Amino acid sequence: MATTLNPEASSGISIGYSVGSVADWLRRITGRICGHRGSRGSGVIWRDGLVVTNAHVALGKLHDLEFFDGGKAQGRLVARDAGNDLAAIKMDVSGLAAAAIRSARELRAGEMVIAVGNPWDGEGAVSAGILHRAAGKQPVIFADIRLAPGNSGGPLADARGNVIGVNSAIFRGLGCAVTSDAVQEFLLKSGVLEAV
Amino acid sequence: MSGFLVDFSNELANAVERAGASVISVPEGGREGVSGTIWRDGVAITSEHTIRGLDEVTVVMPSGETVTAAVTGRDFGTDIAVLKVPGGAASAVIADESQSRVGEIVLSVGRRKEEGLAATYGLISAIGGPWRSEQGARIDRWLRLDLNPFPGFSGGPVVNARGEVIGMATSGPRRSAATIPASTVNRVVDQLLRHGRIARGYFGVGVQPVAFPEGAARPLGVEGDRGLLVVMVEPRGPAGNAGVLLGDIVVRIDGGELRGAHSLRAALDPEKVGHPVTVDIFRAGKLVQLNVVVGERPEK
Repeated sequence: MATTLNPEASSGISIGYSVGSVADWLRRITGRICGHRGSRGSGVIWRDGLVVTNAHVALGKLHDLEFFDGGKAQGRLVARDAGNDLAAIKMDVSGLAAAAIRSARELRAGEMVIAVGNPWDGEGAVSAGILHRAAGKQPVIFADIRLAPGNSGGPLADARGNVIGVNSAIFRGLGCAVTSDAVQEFLLKSGVLEAV
Repeated sequence: MSGFLVDFSNELANAVERAGASVISVPEGGREGVSGTIWRDGVAITSEHTIRGLDEVTVVMPSGETVTAAVTGRDFGTDIAVLKVPGGAASAVIADESQSRVGEIVLSVGRRKEEGLAATYGLISAIGGPWRSEQGARIDRWLRLDLNPFPGFSGGPVVNARGEVIGMATSGPRRSAATIPASTVNRVVDQLLRHGRIARGYFGVGVQPVAFPEGAARPLGVEGDRGLLVVMVEPRGPAGNAGVLLGDIVVRIDGGELRGAHSLRAALDPEKVGHPVTVDIFRAGKLVQLNVVVGERPEK
């Protein structure tokens, strides 16, 4: 039997379709992290061979990483900053797609944001919302978006799929993410990333 | 990646920016500051219950300038307070909220002293007819929002995707977001600018719903089975002056049967003050009719 389509809703372009394609891309750069000490969360492939996640996700030294296409990797903690809730993990696999990064400082309140992560009930789950307020010089941004604990360490991206932060907490119903700028600074300071 | 989504995102940010040009911060309001909206030139509104007892408040204007604003009017029924702010700042663009549709995207926009403009987004999840606030005021339209009310949003605007104001955000029961529609805000602001307050009707009685004695009401032509038992009569109050006695059971007002204490509220709307209403009372097995001139509720 043919499926009936609402003619007004089937114009070929929709928010749902567009969010879906951004989410497809974000899933490629998001890994699931299982620490050997039982921690669990998400991580972002920030550069080739380098995954960024939350300090509260990367509790131990060694981590099992799993990607959406089923690929697996072994990760080793190389830097950790509990104050900013950030951690960097080097993995033994290279050549995977890495995130495109955008500075969170230029974002405007109301811009659309999209998160991908691995809550317990949905791997690669996507949620969408808006930026609650401009970041300014703060190392965190707030978004009106529904996050779950498994989103921790996963990407928060803009409407183009550029990563603007790493989801880290839920605060009064708002999603809270460490800005991409704070991540870059962390990576430079800890010597994981050479200044270019 | 997706031009459509980028355009959509920009439109939302533009709407926040457009609306934000007339959103103020009222840091003394509530527990940690509330918001307000420049409704007309030199006239801002905010959430009345959050600044109760204050004659003037500090206001952070959209420009970032901090000023002291006099509270020139307040209506606790609709939770609207009017503030006198410096002129020249952009006034909110007010939408005709009767054109709003279920499913439309809306944004709640607020401002905080330290952090600046903030927004959450959601949908209009239901639209209904007039309703009464917990304080008994008539609100012209019920706008139910599927939206996350963030701290300090009260008094700020709820806007459509074009950044036009469809109402003032306030808190409803159990931390829900209630919206006072723009048409009601306009009406209340007009009255507050003229009189500084909204007169509320007043009978000067305390009542309690009771069931009629079995078989007593029907023979008198009363359809319902409940009335309002008068448990307190204020001496020289409007009802007391009209001859209402302790122990009377109020059955009808202006011909309309009462269903509970809330049914009294319609008889207490601002336009009723000073006008007589007919009150049917069940007293000692008989129906008695009295004319009560609605008084004005004294200031708290």
